Amino acid sequence: MAEPLVVFDNVVKRFGTFEAVKRMNFEIRQGEFLAFMGPSGCGKTTTLRMLAGLEQPTEGDIRLDGKSLVDVKPHERDTPMVWQSLALFPFLNARENVEFGLKMRGVDKPKRRQKALEWLERLGIGEFAERDVSALSGGQRQRVALARSLVTEPRILLLDEPLSALDAHLVIRMQGVLTKLQRELGITFVYVTHSQSEAFAMADRVVIMSKGEIAQIGSARDIYRTPASRFVAEFVGRNNIFSGTVNAAGSVETAAGTFTLDGLAKPGEKVSFVVAADVVSLSATRPTAPNTFSAQLISEEFVGSMVTLFFEAPGGTEVKVQVQERMLEGIPRRPGQTLYLSFDASHAHVLKG
Amino acid sequence: MTTKPATRPDTYAIAWRLPLIVWQGLFFVGPLLFMVAMSFFLVKNYRMEAAFQFSNWSRMLSKGFFWDAYFFTLWLAVLATIITSVVAFPASYFLAFKTSDRVRRWAIFFLIIPFFTSYLVRVFAWQVILAQQGVINAGLSYLGLGPWQMLNTQFGTLVGYLVLCLPLAVILQTFSLANIDKRLVEAAHNLGCGRMRTVFTVVVPLAKTGLVVAAVFCFILSFGDFVSPYYLGGSKPPTLSIMIVDTSKSGQQWPRAAVVAIMMIVTLLVVAFTAIGFAYRKRGK
Amino acid sequence: MKDDLLLRWVLRVYTALVFLFVFAPIAASLVFSFNSDRFPTIPLGSFTTEWYVKAFSNPEVWDAALRSLIVSAVTAVISTAIGFSAAYTDYRYEFFGKKAFLVLALLPPTIPLIILALAMLGWLSMFNASGMTLSIIIAHTVLCAPFAMAVIRLRLNQMDPNLEPAAWNLGASEWVTMKSVVVPFTLPSIIASLCLTAAVSFDEFAVAWFVSGLNKTVPVVILEILTGNIDPQVNAIGTAVFLVSITLVVIAQVLVLGSARKPENA
Repeated sequence: MAEPLVVFDNVVKRFGTFEAVKRMNFEIRQGEFLAFMGPSGCGKTTTLRMLAGLEQPTEGDIRLDGKSLVDVKPHERDTPMVWQSLALFPFLNARENVEFGLKMRGVDKPKRRQKALEWLERLGIGEFAERDVSALSGGQRQRVALARSLVTEPRILLLDEPLSALDAHLVIRMQGVLTKLQRELGITFVYVTHSQSEAFAMADRVVIMSKGEIAQIGSARDIYRTPASRFVAEFVGRNNIFSGTVNAAGSVETAAGTFTLDGLAKPGEKVSFVVAADVVSLSATRPTAPNTFSAQLISEEFVGSMVTLFFEAPGGTEVKVQVQERMLEGIPRRPGQTLYLSFDASHAHVLKG
Repeated sequence: MTTKPATRPDTYAIAWRLPLIVWQGLFFVGPLLFMVAMSFFLVKNYRMEAAFQFSNWSRMLSKGFFWDAYFFTLWLAVLATIITSVVAFPASYFLAFKTSDRVRRWAIFFLIIPFFTSYLVRVFAWQVILAQQGVINAGLSYLGLGPWQMLNTQFGTLVGYLVLCLPLAVILQTFSLANIDKRLVEAAHNLGCGRMRTVFTVVVPLAKTGLVVAAVFCFILSFGDFVSPYYLGGSKPPTLSIMIVDTSKSGQQWPRAAVVAIMMIVTLLVVAFTAIGFAYRKRGK
Repeated sequence: MKDDLLLRWVLRVYTALVFLFVFAPIAASLVFSFNSDRFPTIPLGSFTTEWYVKAFSNPEVWDAALRSLIVSAVTAVISTAIGFSAAYTDYRYEFFGKKAFLVLALLPPTIPLIILALAMLGWLSMFNASGMTLSIIIAHTVLCAPFAMAVIRLRLNQMDPNLEPAAWNLGASEWVTMKSVVVPFTLPSIIASLCLTAAVSFDEFAVAWFVSGLNKTVPVVILEILTGNIDPQVNAIGTAVFLVSITLVVIAQVLVLGSARKPENA
């Protein structure tokens, strides 16, 4: 495997006594689309800012291409960033904004003008090159910001929640633009967001952060199917978490029922496991399959073609089931209705810790 | 913002921080401190000598004329503050509650102009207007009313103070009135509180801070003003500011003028702190 | 409601009267400057420009006018520079003693001018630096810098806090960023500050009188003309002074309000 582009080596960041980032170790690979995701205050933005040089690590080292970045000032690094507020220069028009990075490198006027126009064309806003940025729409400004960062052809691009200020329909479109761009250019994208759907839709690998620590790094599928901890399982997606004790027969006794899973541990051990909402089957009559339990329907949520049903199982366990609407034909669904849910043991994932 | 490694001195930050510190230190703090020192100097043969004597202090503070001037200035300033605040209030109320945003902005736009332009020339113009043969008296004589002595009286001085303070008072009062929570005023009306009563029991307490700040500025400006008492008030009896001018211009008695100045500053500080403390005190409820 | 309408009209008239009071002397000065009567009264005398001719053929007046212009211009530049540095420092940095720094920056307008004038007279005399045009410039800068700082600080409030970091991020050092980003962004307020401080300095009389000795500025000359008899020349000079300062203040306000209304600040 090629050398990693960026290495975070035992990085700690403290603000006074508050530890925003606690001993982080990870690598960013060349050409990958890496997303940092987590709740507010988890340290994802701080991490990005340390990479850009806007914050200095309190301890540890950050290396780009093998060279330490610790004493390198922000303007000496080649880590252009797309900002949440876009931070376009209001006194320059679109083209001049894009030219800025090139101007700082001493590229001569005709050349940088040409490159700026190329990039604006490439992002589909060539006709707005001479417009004042205040006269552009949200989506157009977004593209100017992108062009401005990419015109210097960097090896790595940082993005700090760039889509959070956009209207919903623009978000989907921009996600497509970003993904396509990243693949075409082959450069590394480091993307920070609090939106799971954004991260999962675009990234090769996702870093889930919580309270300054990395909870899990992996592909979207890995995280969703095999969450590393209870926190990740709860934070990500529609997951059902069951907790109970292993009995003598090797099954788990939980409040909702007794379930048989694959490869269970010793009797007496406390175990939690996750079953994703979209692998739970639903029927009006008790099926013969193992791992079946009954639950009361609380409410339904209809999003596009998928329906999420919320149940309460014995013991107060909340269970979510996500199915295509057409699969629900013939199943009575009054609030309070008791239905039968079941899942396959191979779809259950035991949590560590 | 950026945190820099603690080892290197941040020349950029220091370069931007120093100019103010150096300039104000040299030309604002320095002179004021020197003035305090100066109050202990002696004047021999019209020349000032460095010394540490209390003679200026004992001389000024034991003289009747000093305390006469002190209380006269204080009295006039208090009067000016009250009059200005009261005169400004209905106009500020109107601008804050009864006009559109646009009209209010234009009004403030126009009021800022006199605030920054030639107080001196405006006072001269009033001198002409208030004169015995001036416009007002001429108008009065048409109505068969005798000429009123307006210049060289306390009235003249107060007119001058009004000229000085009114624009600022209206601007500050309008801001603070416009920023109170209007829903509370509506609530009072809903509960049957009459309009006048609402003004005094709801609006004024809510805008208390801003109104007091406006009054404090009026006080500071009029307490220290020299132009109005001199040109409209006739300088008799003198105010403290006139005393400073007289003492330093004739006889070069800067040390004694310094004593007067320090007494003025102390008074202003006491008044300002008390008033601001009152303005920001939380209500007992 | 009829009561409400009546109240509204009463207040409207009252407010108009307040404005009348505030602007009356300016209007009066203008009217009297063209009035032939030595002692302006009603009815007005005939129209004349003799006072303007008299005033502006007086070399002392031109001398003072020139000095006023120089003093205001230089004061405007220095106080705007100092005000800018103070505003930027307040905007960007937190540091030990920042509160004292701000007090130092904003205190001068709260000290009565006459006291400032006396203090500066004493202080500058010690260094044999009083009685010069430079002395007035120094004193005025102390007075005007707070206004410059306030105007520029207001504009900096409208600047995206990520704007400077964005420039660094694209390869601009802090100094280059200042030149290429901060200054262009704050330019309207810089010009407004130049106009405003020039206006304040142009009108400022007490300090100039104390500190200038024989190098008089216009307000001081006005004073001296008057310390004899009522001379209508004052109206002519006064009206000219009004015109200059009003123009400057209006420009300053237009610039400040204009930039506040730009869509980028919405």
